[in-house]
Amino acid sequence: MQFNVFLNVAKKEIMDNIRNKWVILVSLMFALLTLVVSYFGSIGSSGWQDLGNTISGMTQLGSFLISIVALMLGYAAIIGEIERGSMSALLSLSATRFEITVGKFLGLGAVLCLTILIGYGIAGMVIAGNVSNVDYLAYLGFIGMTMVFGLVFLSVALFFSTVFSKRSTALGGAIFLWFLFNIILPIVFVGLLATTIDFTKITMETTLIVPDWYHVLNLFNPISLYSSLIGITIGPVQSSTGSGFIPNPSWYSSGLLMGVLLAWIVVFFTLAVWRFQRTDV
Amino acid sequence: MVTQLVKCPTCKTTITISGEPGEKIDLTCPQCNQKGVFRLPGEKNGKILASNSSTIEVKDLTKTYNHFTAVNNISFSVQKGEIFGFLGPNGAGKTTTIKAMLDLIHANTGAIKINGIDVRINGKEAKKSIGYMPEKVAFYDNLTALQNLAFYAEIKHASKEECISLIQKFGLGDVGKKRVGTFSKGMVQRLGMARALLGDPPILILDEPSGGLDPRGVVLIRDKILEMKKKGTTIFVSSHILSEIQEICDRVSIINKGVLVAQDTVEGLRKKLNLKPHITVTVDAISGKIENAVKKLPGVDSVKTLGTNTLEIICDGAMKAKVILAISTAGANIQNIQTKEPTLEEVFMKYTEA
Repeated sequence: MQFNVFLNVAKKEIMDNIRNKWVILVSLMFALLTLVVSYFGSIGSSGWQDLGNTISGMTQLGSFLISIVALMLGYAAIIGEIERGSMSALLSLSATRFEITVGKFLGLGAVLCLTILIGYGIAGMVIAGNVSNVDYLAYLGFIGMTMVFGLVFLSVALFFSTVFSKRSTALGGAIFLWFLFNIILPIVFVGLLATTIDFTKITMETTLIVPDWYHVLNLFNPISLYSSLIGITIGPVQSSTGSGFIPNPSWYSSGLLMGVLLAWIVVFFTLAVWRFQRTDV
Repeated sequence: MVTQLVKCPTCKTTITISGEPGEKIDLTCPQCNQKGVFRLPGEKNGKILASNSSTIEVKDLTKTYNHFTAVNNISFSVQKGEIFGFLGPNGAGKTTTIKAMLDLIHANTGAIKINGIDVRINGKEAKKSIGYMPEKVAFYDNLTALQNLAFYAEIKHASKEECISLIQKFGLGDVGKKRVGTFSKGMVQRLGMARALLGDPPILILDEPSGGLDPRGVVLIRDKILEMKKKGTTIFVSSHILSEIQEICDRVSIINKGVLVAQDTVEGLRKKLNLKPHITVTVDAISGKIENAVKKLPGVDSVKTLGTNTLEIICDGAMKAKVILAISTAGANIQNIQTKEPTLEEVFMKYTEA
């Protein structure tokens, strides 16, 4: 494996995304939304909320946004270049498909992490300047976990960019994935839960005992994983879905959830390499 | 199978011979009948010896897409330092073959060796000696021409100075710092050729290098190809511009419907097809007597009247003197005679007509 190949591919991805203003636009969007959530987002109070409350408010909105941003960033990474014709030139050099995939993931991952860091970083600084008792460590942890979460969707998008033979189909696939993880899976999982629990007898004060299979199923949805990880590591997460009041089980731990998120990255990255090795360019 | 070009020591005619590695071939020069024996280069440990052997060797290559066979069991070899033309109608399998040579697509069967290295086994090593210009030249639109070349140069371990020099050589010096997205097709094509030449590769594979270029660009690319040949570069070129191929190529292969239908020098192909030259004779006035006198000559295939004073005769080159004599004897005053050898276009049409 040649380091210069994947480092150059990564560098090219970063330059490409900086030059097309993608990083600036998405960073500003993250910063703006975080500030809006911090200032207006907390029900029953007004003005700036501290970073803890901001994290609580941003987790779900962030997961919607970051998942779509990562999918949009990665869905055409491979197929886009094949369709445009630049992949054949790249592969005609002494660059392997594996090196190119690593380079793409590193470059796009860096772009994604940079936008999260800039966006949330700017917002964090503005909020910290307006509130007291700032828990910087928790906020940095939140940014770090959000980056890992973004990389999960990037990895999934990268795999999907090797599955489809057209960029337009890959875009459709990416949009479907977003709906799958953000809307369809939570509804299906809660629907399955409803077959075992009578929700009509549940009040907000009730501590819900949920069977373990539900929590196991949630490991197969990075959105739930991310929300649970933030909840366990930093604090409670505000939720607009019906499942928000379901407590995390005792066997969930930061290490386990982070491990599963990393496993998502590894599995889909490996699948992307495997699929790309078999693709005609 | 090894193919080798050898020169007759007497009349310097180029002769193509094929056979198994190490095989002794008895030769007779078709021009001067000089006889001789030539031994084809041998094979050692599965790696073809580099000297005097094929730089590119494709053997029994087949590629199918679902039920469509794009390339069907083709074999050819390209010698070190030669320009090898690869011709065929649209959809004949040219690009598929080139892509298989670069391991961009996965062939169903066959072996492809570049400098003796199997592309499918050690593509990374094999491709180190290749410069490739694809049919569809594409770059990263948001990056400048120089940034694009620098990206490929770093992977090829070429210098930034070389990028600047190539950009200037291809007439893009003024726009080197402009985004490629703003370039015309011709400019992108020239930048594509510059990319192929990065690192001064010993093998160039060019897929329709003149496509989309204006005449000045075509000349620029052709001159560059000839310049690279002088430096000893092996060049494999696929093109639709047959006149250009005829002008620059040492040997050509013609592929049709995925099958290799011919492979030789242009002259060799003409001979195989028994294509004869066209002799155009302009006289003061054509009469039936003149036409009949020419038609009667043995070895004359056809006589056609063009306008009021021109005859187009297709016959053996050796018949030219007899044709002139017959026309003069028939009472015509010859004003002009032109002989046109059969073009590669005629050869191409003949081989691909089915």
